[in-house]
Amino acid sequence: MTLLEVRALDAFYGDFQALFGLSLDVEAGETVALIGANGAGKTTFLRCLVGLTSTKRGEIRFAGEPIAEQPAERISRLGLSLVPEGRLLFPSLTVEENLMMGALNQRPGSWTLARVYELFPILRERRRQKPEQLSGGQQHMVAIGRALMSNPKLLLCDEISLGLAPVVVDQIYESLGRIRAEGASIVLVEQDVKRAAGAADRVYCLLKGRVTLQGPARGMGLDQLSRAYFGA
Amino acid sequence: MMWVETIINGVLYGGLYGLLGVGLALIVGVMRVVNLSHGEFIVLSAFIGVSLVGALPWVHPLVLLLPVALIAFVLGFGLQAVLVNRVVTRPDPFAAILLTFGVAVVMRNLMVEIFGADPRNLPAGRLAHASAGMFGLHVGVLPLLILGLSVALFTCLQLIITRTKFGRIVRATADHRDIVRLMGVNPGRVYNVVMGLSLALASVAGMLLAIRSSFTPYSGVERLLVAFEVVVLGGLGTFWGAMLGGITLGVAELVGLKFDTNAGPLYAHLLFLAGVLLRPNGLFRVRT
Repeated sequence: MTLLEVRALDAFYGDFQALFGLSLDVEAGETVALIGANGAGKTTFLRCLVGLTSTKRGEIRFAGEPIAEQPAERISRLGLSLVPEGRLLFPSLTVEENLMMGALNQRPGSWTLARVYELFPILRERRRQKPEQLSGGQQHMVAIGRALMSNPKLLLCDEISLGLAPVVVDQIYESLGRIRAEGASIVLVEQDVKRAAGAADRVYCLLKGRVTLQGPARGMGLDQLSRAYFGA
Repeated sequence: MMWVETIINGVLYGGLYGLLGVGLALIVGVMRVVNLSHGEFIVLSAFIGVSLVGALPWVHPLVLLLPVALIAFVLGFGLQAVLVNRVVTRPDPFAAILLTFGVAVVMRNLMVEIFGADPRNLPAGRLAHASAGMFGLHVGVLPLLILGLSVALFTCLQLIITRTKFGRIVRATADHRDIVRLMGVNPGRVYNVVMGLSLALASVAGMLLAIRSSFTPYSGVERLLVAFEVVVLGGLGTFWGAMLGGITLGVAELVGLKFDTNAGPLYAHLLFLAGVLLRPNGLFRVRT
């Protein structure tokens, strides 16, 4: 079953057009990597999906329902969850309060506070602290946990390895495996091409707002990828 | 002994100033906008209070605080839902300032039209002049009650914001109003309730102030000025800072009144100026 269907999506920031006729599919249970250089439109694309970018045209269907015209607060209740770039945790809230914000729309499912602490045990120790007291990797864990608390059908991860030590990135990617095992589909936005291709079933490469390459992650040549990535 | 009494009365009076400011502090803290019609709503609450006292003479004015606060909550909710939410998400803060300034002007003129321009005050009966003796000091019963009520309201507000689910949503919305939408929260609805709370607190202060001193439809500007000074002196967006800022201004005003019976408020304003020059981030700001 196709969980997410995007057709001919254009997005704008004022006069500047960020996405050009972008089409993309995510099947249920699938992990899709979206790679591309800075400014390729990856973050804009995710913001379009969750309803935070309002100047767009095109068709977006999620679980069969058209969502392009719906406000963000409605879309979140359908089971689309974003781990935003730069984490954007709530600095006035404790770690646990941040996680509980994710549970506000009360979607049923297997992710609870206890399960998130099981996935990231360090967060249980830190639950009464403010996000700023945590390391970068731990803050990423809070952001992922917050998104999971709404029991999403599709988890969108924007640059979750950015600025982290390789060991920590390994941990985060390992957690993604366990999140998949619970049945969620994942869209991974990455600049680290190898890492993303390794974790995904399929890869889309974006260049200046257009899809320049798509296909199964396995068997995708590095030179083929780098041509799509840099447009050379 | 006279000086000690003056300072104590200043503290008691200052609690009221704190209450004038805390509603504004809430708005600034959560929405990052300034409500320039805050003063007019304070005055309107006092008018509603006076009308209710007139209509229900057998009910004590202090009991009428509750219905007035409820009315003010509804007005605040409506103001936010109908008008302020249209401009609050714009990057330009002037939109909200101009809008609420316009609301203030319209309200001022409507109040003149409806209630007339004569000075009014709220009769509180014997309570207004009763005083209690403690350790040989004479302290007004009403100011004591007012301070007690202010502290109680501050404590309630603090508990709501730090301990409840609603408070958690308010703080999160203040932090990132885009990101809460991803959790199903409509920031506009949060703002409606916050504006309602802000004006409910302001209405209590407005009624109590009307017992102490007379007011006209034009008094809103003075009220707003005090509220502003309280918020800035206390550190933008902090509640207990607003309370302490109010107390500082109250003491300055009453001590100033002792020196110069014509110009008590002047000394409060001078103190505010000195405070802003010396500690531009607020006297009591803890967090950076």
